[in-house]
Amino acid sequence: MNKEYQEHADLINVTANKRLSFRARLFSNKPATLAVVLIALFIISALLAAFIAPYPYDEQNLPGMMQAPSIKHLFGTDEFGRDIFSRVIYGTRISLIVGFTSVVISTSVGTLLGSLAGYYGGIVDQIITGLTDIVYSFPVSLLAIAVVAALGPSLFNLIIVISMVSWASYARLVRGQVLTLKEWDFVEAARALGMSNFRIIVRHILPNSLAPIIVMATLEIPKAIIIESTLSFLGLGVPPPTPSWGSIMNAGRSFILDAPWITMAPGVMMMVLVLTFNLFGDALRDTLDPRLND
Amino acid sequence: MKKYFLKKLLFMIPVIIGSTVIIFLILHLSPGDPVDMIVGPNVTPEVYQNIRISLGLDKPLVTQYFIFLGKLLRGDLGQSILQKRPVLDIVLERFPVTLKIGVFSLILSFIIAVPMGIIAAIKRNTAADYMSMSFALLGISMPTFWFGLILLYFFAYKYRIFPLSGYETWRHYVLPVITVGLTDAAVTARMMRSSMLEVIRQDYIRTARAKGVRETVVMAKHALKNAILPVITLLGMRIGWIFAGSAVIEIVFSMPGIGRLMVDAIFARDYPIIQGSMLILVISITLGNMLADFLYALVDPRIKY
Repeated sequence: MNKEYQEHADLINVTANKRLSFRARLFSNKPATLAVVLIALFIISALLAAFIAPYPYDEQNLPGMMQAPSIKHLFGTDEFGRDIFSRVIYGTRISLIVGFTSVVISTSVGTLLGSLAGYYGGIVDQIITGLTDIVYSFPVSLLAIAVVAALGPSLFNLIIVISMVSWASYARLVRGQVLTLKEWDFVEAARALGMSNFRIIVRHILPNSLAPIIVMATLEIPKAIIIESTLSFLGLGVPPPTPSWGSIMNAGRSFILDAPWITMAPGVMMMVLVLTFNLFGDALRDTLDPRLND
Repeated sequence: MKKYFLKKLLFMIPVIIGSTVIIFLILHLSPGDPVDMIVGPNVTPEVYQNIRISLGLDKPLVTQYFIFLGKLLRGDLGQSILQKRPVLDIVLERFPVTLKIGVFSLILSFIIAVPMGIIAAIKRNTAADYMSMSFALLGISMPTFWFGLILLYFFAYKYRIFPLSGYETWRHYVLPVITVGLTDAAVTARMMRSSMLEVIRQDYIRTARAKGVRETVVMAKHALKNAILPVITLLGMRIGWIFAGSAVIEIVFSMPGIGRLMVDAIFARDYPIIQGSMLILVISITLGNMLADFLYALVDPRIKY
């Protein structure tokens, strides 16, 4: 067996052979363990925002406006006297909802189109690949701004927009995976047994290309979160008074000289969340891709 | 080679046509009546109808699109609703600011990222590697606008080293270029490192070493030349990212570029300006992509389509 073949076989078998040791190997990676804990904390604080936040996110208190961080207001207050800490906790919701839902949608769409293109080839492949190339070469945030400009800002539109612009990378990845996998003997065997194309794709091809898809999805979540905050920062995200980290920073921008904490607090939280997902994604990739284990 | 360039040039056409469709549809998908936006609600039905006809809004959508496309080809982007001036003039006035930020950021990014990625790869698992990769991870995890705001707060408000806003002198460009350049360098450095790691393991590197070639020569002549290729491919995407991100940067630093023009126009519902600024961004991005492709073909002699 030549080396290249062996490497390929390793990659293909990774989900099956290494499942037993997968968890152990992932958690032997300290940053990854920390990342898992942090992600859990973020999810908990988003779910339990109402209990964790000391104040309602929209409670105004004009005499107490633009107070510096203190015991009473951990991250200070904004120009309406609203508690930044509470707003940031509630803002976690928007980031996570947008991050997870848009990645689920774009992964599904991209995987579907990519496997169709790879499996059937021919004209189907040409159409899908052409479409993918066009979306891929169009810068994501500009397309997002364009669509939001047309449809108007809302949480729903935000998720649609982000999914619309990010499915192409999955389609490309899955197409490539399917192209190599479909030449394998087990696919040939399944076909000989009279399995339908749909079943072959779902039962045999997709499970074998799961590893890179999961890695990509993990690394796309932070990207989606950044696009959301960027659009919200431009005022094209979730409309007020719902707090999103991007819109809090946008409001804080005008007061950055007198009240820098309005901008700093959500920015630091955002960086921690995005960094966490990136760390986790990197660790996942290193664990799932045996070619990097030397 | 010629065939390759031709193919790349031809690929620009569907991208630009696709973009013009999106840009055209923005006006038609958006809520609200364009005629109302131009003249306001208090006009007689005759005046309303005349304006509708003069704008071509009474024709079917497809016809309208081709009229729009025809005008585009003649360089006619329409009139700004707010400023009552040709959109093309306004857009061209604003473009140099965006272009300057973009070009200088890209140069800064490569100056930082390429050596950093190479050193991280050569000195894998050493302090130098960990430090530069932590920097890179931090860079990709930071929203650009936030990094910009932090720089603005410290270097313009607090210590007043650089001006707060404006675009007249080079000093105005320092903070925006650092913001975009550094965040972009983070992505490129990661790419450079993994590409270099891939190349170092190849047989021809082992051969070169076995021949007794000095290590610096192996790295500079054999490894770097191959490792830089994926980074050049990435260049096209980075150009797109920088232009598309111009809106955020220009708003943070109050620079009158295309991105800010576009966002201001979205809030003012000045649709011809939105379309014009998006179009010029798309064209610059597509041209940037093409430039990166050409560069790639020039550097990589294996490209023959």
